Amino acid sequence: MNFGNEKMIDSGRRGWRRALPFLLPSLIGMVLFAYLPILISLFLSFTSWSGISRISLTHGFFKFVHENFLGLQNYQEIIRSSEFWTVLSHNFYFIVLYLPLMLVFSLTCAVIINSKTKGSGIYRVIFYIPVLTSWVAAALIWKWFLSFEYGPINNILSFFGIEGPLWLQSETLAMPSIVLASVWKDMGFYGMIFYGGLKGIDPTYYEAAQIDGASRKQLFFKVTLPMLSSVTFYVVMLSLINAFQLFPQVMVMAKDAGPNGATQVMVERIYKYAFRFGKMGYATAYSWILFVIIFFFTFIQKRIEKRWVNYDV
Amino acid sequence: MSEKHETHFWFYLIGTAISIIALVPFLWMISTSFKSNGALLALPIEWIPKKPTFESYSKLFQLSGFLSSSFNSLFVAVLSVSVGLLSASAAAFAFAKLRFKGKDLLFMVFIASLMIPSQVSFIPLYLIMNNLRLTNKLIALVVPCVFKAFAVFMLRQQIMSIPDAYMDAASLDGASLGKTFFRIILPMCRTSLVTLAIILFMDSWNDYLLPLVLMTSKEHFTLPILLNSLSGEFKTSFNLLMAGSLLSMIPILIVYVCSQKYFSNGLQVGGIKG
Amino acid sequence: MKRTIIVMVIVALLCSAGLMANGVSEGTPIVTLRFEQFSGTDSNDSGPALKEMIAAFEAKNPNIKVELQTIGYDDYFTQLQSKVVGGNASDVFELNFENFVSYASEGALADIDKMVGDTAGFNQTALGAFKYDGIQYGVPCSFSNVVLFYNKALFDKAGIAYPTDDWTWTDMEKAGKAIRALGNDIYGLYRPTTFHEFYKGVKQNGGALMTEDGKAFTMTLVQNVETLERMVGWQNDSNIMPTEAQMGGMGDWDLFKSGRLGMIVTGIWGFSDFTTGCSFDWDIIVEPGNTQHASHFFANGYVVSATSKHQKEAAMLASFLGGSREAAQIRVKANWELPPVNYEDILASYLQITPPENREAVFKSLDYLVTPPVVKQQAEMQDIIGGYLSQVVYKKMDAKSALEACQAELEAKITL
Repeated sequence: MNFGNEKMIDSGRRGWRRALPFLLPSLIGMVLFAYLPILISLFLSFTSWSGISRISLTHGFFKFVHENFLGLQNYQEIIRSSEFWTVLSHNFYFIVLYLPLMLVFSLTCAVIINSKTKGSGIYRVIFYIPVLTSWVAAALIWKWFLSFEYGPINNILSFFGIEGPLWLQSETLAMPSIVLASVWKDMGFYGMIFYGGLKGIDPTYYEAAQIDGASRKQLFFKVTLPMLSSVTFYVVMLSLINAFQLFPQVMVMAKDAGPNGATQVMVERIYKYAFRFGKMGYATAYSWILFVIIFFFTFIQKRIEKRWVNYDV
Repeated sequence: MSEKHETHFWFYLIGTAISIIALVPFLWMISTSFKSNGALLALPIEWIPKKPTFESYSKLFQLSGFLSSSFNSLFVAVLSVSVGLLSASAAAFAFAKLRFKGKDLLFMVFIASLMIPSQVSFIPLYLIMNNLRLTNKLIALVVPCVFKAFAVFMLRQQIMSIPDAYMDAASLDGASLGKTFFRIILPMCRTSLVTLAIILFMDSWNDYLLPLVLMTSKEHFTLPILLNSLSGEFKTSFNLLMAGSLLSMIPILIVYVCSQKYFSNGLQVGGIKG
Repeated sequence: MKRTIIVMVIVALLCSAGLMANGVSEGTPIVTLRFEQFSGTDSNDSGPALKEMIAAFEAKNPNIKVELQTIGYDDYFTQLQSKVVGGNASDVFELNFENFVSYASEGALADIDKMVGDTAGFNQTALGAFKYDGIQYGVPCSFSNVVLFYNKALFDKAGIAYPTDDWTWTDMEKAGKAIRALGNDIYGLYRPTTFHEFYKGVKQNGGALMTEDGKAFTMTLVQNVETLERMVGWQNDSNIMPTEAQMGGMGDWDLFKSGRLGMIVTGIWGFSDFTTGCSFDWDIIVEPGNTQHASHFFANGYVVSATSKHQKEAAMLASFLGGSREAAQIRVKANWELPPVNYEDILASYLQITPPENREAVFKSLDYLVTPPVVKQQAEMQDIIGGYLSQVVYKKMDAKSALEACQAELEAKITL
């Protein structure tokens, strides 16, 4: 080992001076387009701004603050409202249905794409196609699809002699319908992530297990799954963050709250307060509360990951 | 031998089942786009329209500005992808291979931005763009792409798995960091770059709310803005909408299919090193 | 690969510089107005009609050029709000009656009292809808009311007489039952228990949601409870009106056009769609009430932004599109709702177009107009009331307790 050289190399890489030019564009973008708006929205959450009147840093800013400042009132009102807890429960309902279903489907997709059999390449293309649609188009299609009389799903079910239920119009099946559409759209994406994970598993593990006489099933459950644990955590984290922000599907598939409000979720409420009811200050407070919730769950996940994940080197 | 056949059987069975689930809504979309207004509601349901017609498509092409807005969308998307990838890969390189104080904290800050629901930063974001005099200029749609946390996240994963030996060799040869980045690291990230290119392209192509608010003159409209103007208050023609959405998807599909060879490794996200 | 990327970026940046500098130079117009709206779309006749009106305006005012932007209804208000906040709203934009008060009260609109010129040709009720605090902030561009449409073929099949303008709920229910009996998927009536139907329904029964002066809510009046019970009954008891479940995601207009609905209460903006989409004969009557008639009044209008640099020209455009003879005539021809004018000859030509035969019902309904309670927190109020109505429809609460709870919530959340 040539220690002299190592020192030279290291000092070349160290420090902000070297890193800054690489980081600069992203940093500037982050401050201007991500965090500045967020800070502004934090400020707004302490006011009763309607979202329609003009605000500007130059004219009448102090007057604005004087007239509209509310302190923590928005936050208190939200936490005390029964509406908040109801919509939060709807978000949880979505997550509880969506996560397991999505994990199963995307893992299955990954396993199929990973198989050495002929045709896996075609499957790789097909499974990802739903990911490429825009949510607006996809939600419209699913809405039509799940229509009781005009939709193909019930049409197909009737071929099997089953009478298709009401999907989006029934209080109990409305959210599950949204889960179905969401799983359809996302499975390819998370499938590809799992696929990346599968590819990263060192084949020597399989060989060793096979020598010990393990069956395919055992191979899968005792070798593959544990080796995928870190990827699984990433997938769960990403999809959880996404699931809390559930929005375009709900707006298109179940406009105006769904049957008896069954599909009202956090972001839908935020949107309505911000853009329909003229209560932007309230909406920003709502959205900060949502952020705290998401952050909390992500944090817990990271903790669990430290304890459970198998990082074999 | 028979175990192999049995596995093949299950493989094809499940694979086909999922493919059907994935594709059927598309077939429906395609079929609807060829239906005339009356056929939309016909019972029993027509999987294949009895009297297929091109009228939705011709209506779309006749919409004034269809071609120019498509071109605008394409232009913005290509630029967005280039800017986004360059900027994100540079930042990812810094996070993965360079050392500086506060690196982990800064990275957390990058990732935390993903957790903030976008609806409410929307108006402040618009105000900022307005103050930067970026309204009604197509470039305004490209500039925010300079910050793409998810791309930085993925690229960092991939770059981290590149052995340090390459970098050491390069600096021994006297290469600057910049050269190392462009000539050695970037080419090794091909898979992630291509995957991300598709995701970024799609995000840019399908984005409609911010462009809707920012673009106020016809020459600058992008395709989703145009398609959006077709939704009336009371009546929306499904067939028109489906035709529009399909046309809108074509460029993305083409790009995706053509880049299949880069997907042979999937999306690298986990921390397992090979 | 690095080189290709860099080249691409440079080329693209150069092109964009070109595009940024792109000023499509036409012959030198003196004033360019930006105009955005949602009701005239290219997916039916209204879009071309609007363009015709704009062309007529430009012909009369060669120093003014109009740039039109049509935006889908669903996103219209979101993007409008952003622009208004940013001080970037179009010179002229469309607002519907519900949103007008929010924008006017927040100072987003220009006072065009003195700039609209002669307003005698406007229908005065419609004109008044765009006044706030006594000042004229906008002009109506269209107004419409709601009537009862009926399917003549189904009435013939059930062997009952056609409805007339003096029908009441009882007559409507009888006919509804007769038609419902015709088949399992044939329904008698479509009149859902939603906010808009409810505030009108209570008026048809002598009740009201608020006091006359608009200072207090009166949700729990006996007449309101009765109305709610009866309306819900149409769906849940006699089932002459299909439940959400039975509709299965189908639109109400679609149900009527498919020939399986006897009567539907909806707006006159449906005329052109029903004319092209119905294969059977249909007609209209003034909506039946219980103790009296009451009919909805909706109006859309054009307003001028407070930040517009060309307020006078903008007001001229708004006024022309809303109230001029030319515009009114174009609108009538395109079957695009009612022009908010009182020019006899134009209204007469409106009456002559058929179907429906009984177009006078539209004008007769004008005698019984009701408007929704005008409250600044309009959308929020609708959301709250709608929520309770839905509870009753889904049988989660009975009418009386729902209205009582609603009253309590409204008092807590809405400032009058």
